[in-house]
Amino acid sequence: MAALPKRIIKETERLNKEAPDGITAEPHEDNLRYFDVTIKGPGGSPFEGGTFKLELFLPEDYPMAPPKVRFLTKIYHPNIDRLGRICLDILKDKWSPALQIRTVLLSIQALLSSPNPDDPLATDVAKHYKENEKEAIAQSQEWTRKYAVAG
Amino acid sequence: MAKVPRNFKLLEELEKGEKGIGDGSCSYGLEDGDDITMSNWTGTILGPGHTVHENRIYSLRIHCDDHYPEVAPAVTFISRINLPFVDQKNGKVDLKKISNLSHWSHEMSLETVLVEIRRAMASGENKKLPQPEEGSTFF
Repeated sequence: MAALPKRIIKETERLNKEAPDGITAEPHEDNLRYFDVTIKGPGGSPFEGGTFKLELFLPEDYPMAPPKVRFLTKIYHPNIDRLGRICLDILKDKWSPALQIRTVLLSIQALLSSPNPDDPLATDVAKHYKENEKEAIAQSQEWTRKYAVAG
Repeated sequence: MAKVPRNFKLLEELEKGEKGIGDGSCSYGLEDGDDITMSNWTGTILGPGHTVHENRIYSLRIHCDDHYPEVAPAVTFISRINLPFVDQKNGKVDLKKISNLSHWSHEMSLETVLVEIRRAMASGENKKLPQPEEGSTFF
């Protein structure tokens, strides 16, 4: 296997030593560009109390290209679709090589606190959020209890 | 080269399939759009012209297990078809009997599988084989 770029080694070490609050990221032993990630639902959000699993992959041209990230835990959120794909500008056209795995995961955590139904990926969820926010939030809470709470 | 993990390869394949591949003679998609493991797919092959398959549409089921793409997917015809590499009892495709698929590599894809099956359908020895009634299925 090709040597891992120094930048990725440094980022991994720092994630391991000083993990951001409520976030873990661990590389697979057989593929150091492929991470198992968990993000805790932020307090005060409909995802509070849940621990969400994600997967993250650093493509060959990282950091010129953004990481690829996907939720593995089902989540009722207007910017996350049924396959866990995330609509977030820094994962697409707003990516900059100055950003890191850490900033990406913090941005995803922030997205959980502030769903944005005006830029939806899951259009049915976004519609629900726009038409009846209270009911949509209740649905997000129910999915969190059902899919993101261990045991 | 960085090794692309199964799920991210399949996500790429899904996006490519949604846009439409090649000339449209083969297509594929997830059997269930909620399947977060992306294991079960359906494919269609439009019968190649100037063969007994012309104008027929064949449906297939494709299963990608946890080891995909290191291991080839399992491919089964739903539509009944008579070919030497298709088990006539259950529609299972023996990829080892198709020259361009017999040595599976992780660089191949669902698209490669469908395109190569279609190519084999049009080969000299297969293109005139008698075929079951159109529209009949293995299940």
